[in-house]
Amino acid sequence: MKSLALPTTKKAIIFDSGSIINFTLNGLLGEFRELKKIFNGKFLISKEVYEEIVNKPMEIKKFKLEALKIKELISENVLELPTSLGIDESKLSAKTQELMKIANNTFFGHENAIHVIDSGETSCLVLSTLLTEKGIKNVISVDERTIRMLGERPENILETLKKKLHTSIKANKENFKFFKGFKFIRSTELIFLAYKRGIVKMKNHNVLDALLYALKFNGCSISDEEIAEMERL
Amino acid sequence: MQEKENILRILQETKEALNNKDSFKLKELSNQTIHTASMTQDRENIAIAVFVYSLSKLIQRREYQSPKSWEEFYKLISSQIDLVMNAIRKKDDENLRKVVEQVRIRMEKLSGELKFYVQDVFRKAQINKASKIYEHGISMEQTAKLLGITIFELASYAGQKPEGAPYGQTVDIKTRIKLAEDMFK
Repeated sequence: MKSLALPTTKKAIIFDSGSIINFTLNGLLGEFRELKKIFNGKFLISKEVYEEIVNKPMEIKKFKLEALKIKELISENVLELPTSLGIDESKLSAKTQELMKIANNTFFGHENAIHVIDSGETSCLVLSTLLTEKGIKNVISVDERTIRMLGERPENILETLKKKLHTSIKANKENFKFFKGFKFIRSTELIFLAYKRGIVKMKNHNVLDALLYALKFNGCSISDEEIAEMERL
Repeated sequence: MQEKENILRILQETKEALNNKDSFKLKELSNQTIHTASMTQDRENIAIAVFVYSLSKLIQRREYQSPKSWEEFYKLISSQIDLVMNAIRKKDDENLRKVVEQVRIRMEKLSGELKFYVQDVFRKAQINKASKIYEHGISMEQTAKLLGITIFELASYAGQKPEGAPYGQTVDIKTRIKLAEDMFK
């Protein structure tokens, strides 16, 4: 008799929209598939992220091909939905709304609560919490900087808002605790690993630089200094 | 509509800049509206920022430089700005929404052959304003949603801008690489 038990996966990488989009736009899905092969765990996206990277672009001719390529990753089980690890979708969505409400009531300018993040990004955080509760080691791969700053150094969002808005911004620092403890990587760290492990087949001394800048120019928040340091490692 | 007085001033100055065919001033005014838009995230504020930026691009087109075309263009835009300003003064938010929506529709009807150019300018203006809002610290997804564009469009545009160091660097690179390596052990 076939067992209905869920696989005993012990680790997962949760992907936000930006990281997947970046691999796709740069034609790096081959390397992405190879990374999955050497990863003894799951690559996950939430249904909120699926909406952003498959359903929405499917309606736009310019990005339909990219949407189809991503959809193929899902049909091949390279990317999977949280239900594959027994995560309850409705619980994930409800907790996403709760956490999003907290995040978007953390920074205030002229008495207005500033809406800093949306459901896709927030769902990655909630999924991370739910996986940790199940004893599944995980990191979040996110290329855009806001959610990363919120988790790693929320004071930096405050400083960015102050600097860019040229006005007094207040933060409800009590809320910072809800975003602590998450672990983030970016598409650049993943491609660095792919390069170091010989997954990238191109042979040229400029390959790593070219890859890192390609990812930066398609939305990965990484500085020139960070790229230079990566190349020295 | 938030920061009403500020927006009224910006629109008045937009009319003047348009009259002077001052593209640089229009861009600057558009950036001023984006500060307010990032904070309040009012759709009307954002639409005005996109509209003003689009104007700065449109007046650079040679087709608008002939006296007849220019007169038609200026008359249309001025009347639209007046309608927007009246709606703001009357605090008529519902009408404001309609008038703001009508601006683009009217502009697209301005001239048959320029229709696609106007559409293109508005689309690029949306992406440009989105990248500005993203620079203000609002997340990529939220920004894309506000401007009605996809993350695909925003990601490649925002990536061209210099990284907002030092705030974007939250963990040192070695630690982050180690995190990735540990996951693949």
